[in-house]
This record gives sequence, C-alpha cells and structure tokens, in this order.
Amino acid sequence: MAEIPDKFDAIVIGAGPAGSASAYYLATKGFKVLVLERGRSPGSKNVFGGRVYVAPLKEIFPDFEKSAPIHRWVTRERMSFMHGNELVSLDYEGNDHKSFTTYLSQLAAWMALKAESAGASIVSDITVTGLLKEGDKVIGIKAGNESVKADVVIDAEGVNRLVLESTGLVQALKPSQVALGVKEVVKVNPEVLANEFGLGEGEGMAWSLMGDVTSGLPGGGFIYTNKDSVSIGLVMLLDSAISGANDEVYKYVERLKTHPKLSKYFKDSRIMEYSAHLIPEDVSSLMPPRLAYDGLLISGDAAGFLLNLGYTYRGVDFAAYSGYLAGKAIEQAHGLGGMSAANLLVYTKLLDQSFIMKNLKRFSGTHKLMRNRRLFTAYPAMMASLMRHIYSLDYESQKMFNTVLGSAKENGMGPFTLLTDGIEVMRYL
Amino acid sequence: MSATEQRLEDILNNDIWDVDSNPHITVDSEKCKNCNTKPCIRLCPAGCYTMSEKTLVFSYEGCVECGTCRVVCPLEAIHWEFPKSGRGIYFRFS
Repeated sequence: MAEIPDKFDAIVIGAGPAGSASAYYLATKGFKVLVLERGRSPGSKNVFGGRVYVAPLKEIFPDFEKSAPIHRWVTRERMSFMHGNELVSLDYEGNDHKSFTTYLSQLAAWMALKAESAGASIVSDITVTGLLKEGDKVIGIKAGNESVKADVVIDAEGVNRLVLESTGLVQALKPSQVALGVKEVVKVNPEVLANEFGLGEGEGMAWSLMGDVTSGLPGGGFIYTNKDSVSIGLVMLLDSAISGANDEVYKYVERLKTHPKLSKYFKDSRIMEYSAHLIPEDVSSLMPPRLAYDGLLISGDAAGFLLNLGYTYRGVDFAAYSGYLAGKAIEQAHGLGGMSAANLLVYTKLLDQSFIMKNLKRFSGTHKLMRNRRLFTAYPAMMASLMRHIYSLDYESQKMFNTVLGSAKENGMGPFTLLTDGIEVMRYL
Repeated sequence: MSATEQRLEDILNNDIWDVDSNPHITVDSEKCKNCNTKPCIRLCPAGCYTMSEKTLVFSYEGCVECGTCRVVCPLEAIHWEFPKSGRGIYFRFS
C-alpha cells in the first residue's frame, strides 16, 4: 500500500452498498476518504436476492435513475403458496416505479464508481483484518502486517463481521440470528419474459413463494426477472435448516426451478451464476451493543440492518441509507470538533429518525412470527385446499365460511388456532 | 436443457474463482469425529464438506464465501476467513 498516504479523514471497510454510499457522501463534502475492498473489484463479493426499493437510493444519489444499472422496474408483485403440485397465487399489477431488479455486483460497482468520481480513493484486493486502536479509540485499520490511519473508520464489512469479531465488539454469529440465501441467476429466452412472465419492455416481476418451496421450513423462495435473466432462489432460517433440512440446500433451488408449475418459466434456461449469502434475521440480537464508538461507526449488514418480512426483503436500501447517515454523522461530528463517541452519537439519532429504525422497530416481532411453522406448512396447504374446493365443485356449492373452516380442519387447525394466528399475523406483519 | 435437476458440480461450473494457494478454511477434523449431525455437509451451498470413508473432508477451492459453515458447526471445528487480497469467488451477476 505504498501509494496510499498515511492518514485519511475516514476509512471505509468494504465497497458494498453501505460503504460506497458513505464514501460518496463524505467525498462530496470534501473529506479525504479511503475505501478498502477485499474483492478484486467493488461488487465482486456482493450477493442479494434481486430487488431494490429505489426511494432511499434516489435521495443518496440524485441522478440515480439516469445512470444506475436498473434492469427492470418491478411492475408485477406476485405471492404464491405452494402445496405439492398446487400453487395459489396473488398477482398485483402496479403503475409506479418503486423498486427495480438488478445484479448487486453491478449496482455496487456503480456506487463505488460514483464515490470514486466524487473523490474517494477505492482500493480493491485489500482484506481488512482488524482495527488499529489507541486505548479504546479506533485510529485506523490493519490489513495483514500493514496499517492505515484515519480520524474515523466506517465498518461496512457485511454480515460476516470478522473485523468486529476480532475486536471483541460483537460475538460470533449464531444460527438463530441469520438465514441462508441460495440463488441461481439463469439466462432465459426473451420470449419467456414476455409470454410466461407477461412482462413488457423494462417491466419486471418480484415473486415470493412460501410453503413446500422450503419443504415447510421457515423461509421461502424468490424469483426476480432481470433484463435478460431470472434470479431464482430461496431463504431458510439457519437454525430451522440445521434441524429440518434433509437435503443439500442447492437441491431446494433446483427443485423449485423444475417444479411442474414453474418449469415453463425456466424452459431452455442456462445457469449464469450460482451464489449464496447469509442474511441478518434476528436484528435486535444482531445489532452491536453500540453503533458509534470513539473513531468507529458500523453500518449495513454488519449492523444487522435488514428487514425480512417473508414476502419481501429490504437490505440494499437499508445498507446504503445507513452508510449515507454514517457520512452525515461524520460531517456533523467534524463540525462539533472531532470523532469522539459522544460526537458520533448523532449517527444513532439519525438512524432512529430514519425509515431504517422505524421499520426495524415496527416489524421487530416478525422474527418471532417466522417461528410459527403453520405459516409455512398448514396455511399454504389450507390455501390450496380452499382453492381446490372452488375449482373442483361437482354439484353442490358450500358457503365460503364453511369451506374455510373445512380446509383448516383438513390441515389440523380449529377456529381458535385460525383466530390466534390471524391476530399474530396482523400484529407483526 | 430444461426441467431436469442439475448436479452441484455442473451448477458451480458457471462460477469464477481466483483460488488462493493458502486455504482460507481450516477444519479440526479431530473434533468432527465427535460430531453426530455434521450440518456443514447439507448446508454448505457449495458442497465443500463431504464424507470420505468415515472421515469428514473439505475443499476450500469452490467456496462461495457465504460463511454458513462457521455458523452451523456445533463444535467450532471450522476456522473460516476471507480469502486474502482479491482471491476467491468473483461474482458478476449476483
């Protein structure tokens, strides 16, 4: 690292969405920023499901829509319950541009380029291995035998928090805290996107699936349409997967892709890439005891900022926005005279006032709800039998209410269970 | 190619690595002898952990760097780090 000056205003660990957003903000405000990325280039280690909500990104990058690698705007939102070879779906067709599909590898590269154009130094091929400390104060980073100093460090290293662990600020991850996401990106025929998915030019679909997708394990499947490919994968809560997954995880993705009701979407498809990633799940237990220390801020997945609602995920926008707020906090701390924990505490305040903490607090019970196995087993089955009743009427029709109760009973649930589960879902989702 | 399930080897063949000569994963296989569940075998998405005879063997080369193995290992037998300086998996479409 001979070409690097020996001191920066700020060092950012990781050129992912959080790291690059913070570097971009700080660079535009004139701070001397260094971003260290362990991959060969920004984006090369990034993995996500497939969809990003756009509003926070437009706030961070005012010209976002003009040049960002947006594949398709999500115009169709589909939610399916899978029971054996039956599929019950809700399909919504919207009219707005609220979220888009992309490859995170491309989006992260774009964000890093924005930061670089604004004046940040991005250095790839460097794995940060620890924090440089003076007493309790963080004064820089270590990468193997080398070190670089800075007034403040932003840890945006991602969900595998090896740096924070090595510093003793967080414990090693536990299976109950994370979910495993596994995905294939497959090349599909353009006709499949037009005819099977029913998408016009630039239109995209976000599709979540629950039930037999994960063999009833807590979690679900996802399908996102990219420009000329489709991302398909699934998410499983890791602790349930340890005890409940009887097959290798990749098989669940293959099974989903070749499911009798889904295989038409993947006709003549060809795998382009296979990836996997851990997903913050139990946010309250994952969040480090503090997000601001003397000379240190924590953002993105490393801070546990991700919302998994079962039917949708928000990670990239949370990460980017938390990085952006880390940048703002540093700017304000600078105005107050330095990067002390007291001055940097404004980061926590900014987060609390933002949609990130508001959402995470609002949905803090979701993690508990995901432990209700019936949501992944009995309810998809019930939805299927409910629709089957309507579908296969021969002579006599039943009243809807009786059909619902009948379907519930078939799946081992009485009216009381339906009522309490209903209340739980209303409370937490 | 359409509706047939593919083998993991064939799926992984679509990925790109710059493999480090130093393994970023080390396993204390003595500990594995006392492990009844071995969740690493089923849950490593890249199939890095397999049984050979009665011993757990692993390969770090095809690792997709999710970090699952170190989280699920009940005996803390797996030491997992990021591959050094730009090595390891190189994602392009994820």
